[in-house]
Amino acid sequence: MTDLIIIGAGLAGLFAANMAADLGASVCLVARGRGGLSLSHGCIAVLNRAQPLRALDRLPASHPYQLAGKEALKQSVKAFASWMRAGDLHYRGRLGQSLPILQASGRSAWVNLAPPSLGQIHGRSVGVGAIEGFRDFAPQMLAQALRAKEDYRVRVLPLPLPRSSRELYAIDLAARFDDPLWRNETLRLWKPLARGLDTLILPAILGLSMHSDLFNLIQEHFGCAVLEIPTLPPSLPGLRLERALRQRAKQHGVRIIEGAPAIGRVEGPSGQARVIGIQLQSAGGPRMLSSGALLLATGGVIHGGLVALHPNRMRETVFGYPIEVQPERSAWTELSPFSPQAYAMAGLRVNTRMQPLDPAGEPLFANLYAAGGVISGSDRVYEGSRQGIDLATAYRAVQSIMEDSYH
Amino acid sequence: MPRLSTELLVIGGGATGLGIAWDACLRGFKVVLIEQSDLGQGTSGRYHGLLHSGARYAITGPSLAHECAQENAILRRIASPAIEDTGGYFLATPADPLHYPDRWLEACKQAGLQAEEVGVAELLRREPRLSPRISRAFRVHDASLDSFDLLHMLSGSILEAGGQVLLHHRLVGFIRHGGALVAAEIEDLRSASVLRIAFDLAINAGGPWAGQIANLAGIHLPLALGKGTMVAMASRPVHSVLNRCRPPSDGDIIVPIGSVAVLGTTDIPVSHPRDMQIQDQEVDALLSEAEMLLPGSTHARILRAWAGIRPLLAPSADEDAPETRNIGRAHAIIDHEAQNGPSGIISVIGGKLTTFRLMAQECLDVVCMRLGRSVECSTATTPLEQADRRFFALPMRHRQLAHRERGDIASDLICECEFVPREDIRRTLAADSPQTLDDLRRDLRIGMGPCQAGFCAFRTAEIMAQVLPQPSQDLAAFLHERWKGLRPVAWGDTLEQMELTRRLYAELLGFSQPPGRFS
Repeated sequence: MTDLIIIGAGLAGLFAANMAADLGASVCLVARGRGGLSLSHGCIAVLNRAQPLRALDRLPASHPYQLAGKEALKQSVKAFASWMRAGDLHYRGRLGQSLPILQASGRSAWVNLAPPSLGQIHGRSVGVGAIEGFRDFAPQMLAQALRAKEDYRVRVLPLPLPRSSRELYAIDLAARFDDPLWRNETLRLWKPLARGLDTLILPAILGLSMHSDLFNLIQEHFGCAVLEIPTLPPSLPGLRLERALRQRAKQHGVRIIEGAPAIGRVEGPSGQARVIGIQLQSAGGPRMLSSGALLLATGGVIHGGLVALHPNRMRETVFGYPIEVQPERSAWTELSPFSPQAYAMAGLRVNTRMQPLDPAGEPLFANLYAAGGVISGSDRVYEGSRQGIDLATAYRAVQSIMEDSYH
Repeated sequence: MPRLSTELLVIGGGATGLGIAWDACLRGFKVVLIEQSDLGQGTSGRYHGLLHSGARYAITGPSLAHECAQENAILRRIASPAIEDTGGYFLATPADPLHYPDRWLEACKQAGLQAEEVGVAELLRREPRLSPRISRAFRVHDASLDSFDLLHMLSGSILEAGGQVLLHHRLVGFIRHGGALVAAEIEDLRSASVLRIAFDLAINAGGPWAGQIANLAGIHLPLALGKGTMVAMASRPVHSVLNRCRPPSDGDIIVPIGSVAVLGTTDIPVSHPRDMQIQDQEVDALLSEAEMLLPGSTHARILRAWAGIRPLLAPSADEDAPETRNIGRAHAIIDHEAQNGPSGIISVIGGKLTTFRLMAQECLDVVCMRLGRSVECSTATTPLEQADRRFFALPMRHRQLAHRERGDIASDLICECEFVPREDIRRTLAADSPQTLDDLRRDLRIGMGPCQAGFCAFRTAEIMAQVLPQPSQDLAAFLHERWKGLRPVAWGDTLEQMELTRRLYAELLGFSQPPGRFS
């Protein structure tokens, strides 16, 4: 019996696991698949604003930020930054003032904490690296967008790979870069091509294990600023973050079980029932894991925490709990993919302690909690609020769980 | 203003117009065809893929049924690369009228159509996914036809025979001389320039736009437009075309084509060729009908929904919004001069894709009469060109890729759902003038597989940026277009895919914010 089972290995689940372990809880993290960090730019974005904190108060009362509270956001971001400082991948930035990171489109997103290799162009002379045979970055498009926007001198630099090695995905290129011999050979090959640049822009492929010191060495090697741009998935900055949080969790005694879907198990008379744990649908057959509390960090429709069913239903997947949605399916989506979508707002309704609620507003079970994308009330794609919500709700959930366990 | 002169000006680049231009080429006419959009953008490209055996019309239109049967046999000869001989069944379920199958079978016999009853057990051996509740089954000569392929074959054949096909050219107006139409002003939509084409005869083959085209000639041509919605499943659970054995209604057919199966169709009267918005109820009706034949259809992964507009000749001018399914799918060749209209123009209305060749033949017979020529039609015996077949079927792509060197294949695949290599995109961009991602989609199937452009749109836009002199601005437009066909089927895996695409482009790659926001 563990104190806490967390389902989901995305940012919310990993943050919660680390925090609960720090507070002395025994934690088991269970994940059906890989969490969502391979789709992430690896930064912590709170809201697509220069000053997100001011805007938080204007959000509706049902928004996850309002429910978790500003303090949870502040404390969680602080904890996250300190964990990363203690490791080798240092994040910079703060909550009060967002920093822009350049993206593949040539536009920038506001984020609040960013790893060292993401950010803005320095100077006017810019080279965009076009790595031979790599499909998931668009150097020419980026160069055109930059030329149209600012008075940059932008060149596209064809970058060969040593020994005619071609790699399909960012993760494969990154694995090559993790080999110091290959890395040094490649960087030597590229150095003369980058001569005279103020900033060298590369797709984010500089190794899964790339850390702050190594990044500084790479910049020194080129003699200019180097900027990484998140690519089509798997996105390396997200994977580096995943790796850092997983390593930290393991070091702090978190047990991680992967590859099996989980079904929630409940005991007790109706009205006072408690979650007793989960049944893992593992390859060798079902397996019961019991725990004092359960945290759902299973994500929204994109990660399987929620599933939409024909013609007009949605449900949570661990307990099969029905989710409230509009009966007209045409109201779930908007004409433009980039508008806020009603389906993306759907999810478990929670109270300020992150407990999922029934239609009457009572907690479904006294020891069940939720964090991240499975919670209703925000379209995180539209808001640019994904990681802030993950951290704030995970923080608030673990805080509630620990309060309960002391009572 | 640039000028051209031709004997025949064909307006409309669907199967009808291209069929007419092809027939005209073979009969020795000088032909120019104009199409306001791209090949396959209109009704012909929004087709369900069923090459009718004719059995569907055995009761409601025996002569149409007979025509379908004949044309089915002809097209298998002249357009075989576009056709897959799936065979078909008419299937009765307990929900269908009990006596209909016998009546229908008798009508098939009368019309000379082959329809042979097979035991349900035998049916289920061949099609194990079908419902065991099916009560009767009849084998017919259906096939599936890839209309994109057919259009490209027709267009290639016309070019080869010396005809001209002008895509993205729209009719602006006619020029008269006395009571005759003698020339047309045509706008090249890409360069926004206007050219004048003098002709002996113009053929209005505008499909749902035929009324607007006639209008420019001062002719009132009432059409009944019917919207038909279709849904593509992301899998091909059956080998054969399936038809419901019951009076024609919504959701009658399931057509296996390429790697998908198409559920069709609905029929809703609309007032304009652009009225293609799909209602949820249409999709739900198609799925619940499919469920009767193919249990589990509602839980299967859906690729996309789309709609096409059937242009049918309205029976009379004073009936508002007639139910279009009952008008009949027969076609009409209207020689306007014979009806006291202007001379120099003939309209071709209605018909089915299966009978496009016959319509063209009849149209050219009228043309020959008008222009005083006497040449026999030879389209029924002349196979279409397939040399420049840019529009590949998936199995063909597999074969093609198998011949490439290992190690080169994977990294060159830009669209991993439809197996489109970098090389094909580059070649198409160099050979033709596709300027948008949507043009490339119709040529190469980019963005038409399960990811619906999620990954390939970004990669393809980069190749376009490398090749085209002007930066392409249409990545967002393309994603909007793909999104449109996903909205009516937004549940399950499809919704998951939609959210993934949104997340990639908005959050990860940064394509959603208004430009210049951070400059």
